Amino acid sequence: MIRFTAVNKFYGGFKALNAVDLIVKEGERVVVCGPSGSGKSTLIRCMNQLEQHDTGSIEVLGRTLGDDLRATDQIRKDVGMVFQSFNLFPHMTVLENCMIAPQLVRKQAAENAKDVAMDFLNRVHIQDQASKYPSQLSGGQQQRVAIARALCMSPKIMLFDEPTSALDPEMIGEVLEVMTDLAEEGMTMVCVTHEMGFAKRAADRIIFMSKGEIVEDGAPDDFFASPKTERARSFLRRLDLTPSTH
Amino acid sequence: MALVQFRDGNSGIVVGEQPAAGTSISSKARLNGINLLVSAIAVALIVWALYWIVDWAVIRAVWTSEDGSACRVADAGACWAVIHVRWRIILFGLYPYDEQWRSAAACLVIVVTAILSCTRPFHTLARLTLLWLVGFGSFIALMRGGVLGLSSVSVNDWGGLSLTLFIFAAVSITGMPLAIMLALLRRSRLTLIGKTTAIIIDVVRAIPLLAILFTVGVIIPFGLPDALVGEKLYRVIAAFSLYFACYQAEIIRSGFQAIPTGQEEAAQALGMSYRQRVAYVLLPQAFKAVLPPTVNQFVITFLETSLVVVIGFFDVLASGNAAFGTAKWGIAKIEVYLFVAAIFFTFTFSLSRYGAYLERRGAPNAAK
Repeated sequence: MIRFTAVNKFYGGFKALNAVDLIVKEGERVVVCGPSGSGKSTLIRCMNQLEQHDTGSIEVLGRTLGDDLRATDQIRKDVGMVFQSFNLFPHMTVLENCMIAPQLVRKQAAENAKDVAMDFLNRVHIQDQASKYPSQLSGGQQQRVAIARALCMSPKIMLFDEPTSALDPEMIGEVLEVMTDLAEEGMTMVCVTHEMGFAKRAADRIIFMSKGEIVEDGAPDDFFASPKTERARSFLRRLDLTPSTH
Repeated sequence: MALVQFRDGNSGIVVGEQPAAGTSISSKARLNGINLLVSAIAVALIVWALYWIVDWAVIRAVWTSEDGSACRVADAGACWAVIHVRWRIILFGLYPYDEQWRSAAACLVIVVTAILSCTRPFHTLARLTLLWLVGFGSFIALMRGGVLGLSSVSVNDWGGLSLTLFIFAAVSITGMPLAIMLALLRRSRLTLIGKTTAIIIDVVRAIPLLAILFTVGVIIPFGLPDALVGEKLYRVIAAFSLYFACYQAEIIRSGFQAIPTGQEEAAQALGMSYRQRVAYVLLPQAFKAVLPPTVNQFVITFLETSLVVVIGFFDVLASGNAAFGTAKWGIAKIEVYLFVAAIFFTFTFSLSRYGAYLERRGAPNAAK
């Protein structure tokens, strides 16, 4: 579903992605982790072209992304994204936030879009807040709305860019729970997160990045039990998740 | 000084922190005295001023006098007779006397159109466009005539309130889309377009409005072939609209800058096109952020319409000048200006109240 081949990305002189090769298959739940500045966010933002890569090729859902802006538009319809800072539209109610894109982009009728939106708001347990404005909700509630909003477009892939990093600790759980449900339903997910508990529970693959490169790529159990590189070991030590074999 | 008084009043006994408390009590008392005095003087002044105003504007006022002779009596107050006799020239300027009902109807058309466009059912682009096309269409048909059995009236004879309202409405309605366009172009990722727009905006803002109006009103006809010149009124509106747009564009741009980048990213990630992002995500938030300066800009523009007098248009202020510009009514300058000021106030005050209403409605917590 997603194929990166020798992708490079520069910010001025800084190399954010260094010859990244990556294949994500349908139904895979991939967690991307690594120290800050390692290129995790850049990697995931290239997948829907919020960042443009400089060299190499990125193929998503069978379309090659890059200069072809129509391909980008097409891909964005089918790839949902959840941001660290929620980015709900503050001038719309929760329900309107969920209805706007299906109506404009998928040309759904209003009643239809409303039914779908209420259904997803139900699934993230926030249906009773539908007529409120985002500023009236807690961070955790806002992030659940953001997930529902992305799901309303019936995406084939969901991208999560540190979805819990801006949340108060007591609200992280409710968001992770929704994400775990989604993972169990078989959604293809790529998730940048520091929540290693979630990674163990819901992911079937972990990618560890450092300095713009994919350093480790494997099953969660292997990664946590016996990281192959020193960089991953020191990263896990700092998260206080010392490999259990030591 | 205060301390001494305190000691005298308390037989010289000074214990602990009392001196400080005592000082503050006595200085407070003196402050209160001064306050009382100042307040009394202020109240007296206000009462006197109110009495003087009421005496002048109501009690001694001359309400009717066909030739203004009653106003020239020694103890006459406000000469409202001038409004009574000359109101038609103030409101309608040089418009043919027998046809002035058309000018009044045209005013009404513009006001009703403006009020309707402030109501929710008209808040879609198609309906708003249609509404204003109909509004301007019937305004021009009424004023210009030549259709439906109405006699023709030259644009040069238009004047007074209907001219002021027409110029203001036309400038706002054409200037606002232009402003949005300039603001968007200035944000363009293509440096050339962004820079060019910035230069246009800066150049127009560097020229005084008077010079712009004078140029399009008086100079352009000499420089351009007749076919391109068009009617003076529309040239003036076009130039005025560009001037308005350049200021308003910068206001809107500041609104765009107030929006976090995440908003546009979220809209992009949902697959919304550039036009959809601008129309549904960026503009509503930008306008909400810049509502106060926008209302300000509208009010300024309304008042600036009076400047068209320099190129020979009789807006409501200029036709007010004409109303007392005869030997009979020369004494009634102040009364006419007060009347014209009241007209301007009615419109600008309504504008700012509508702005305040929009701000209240825009606050998310007010909407249940």
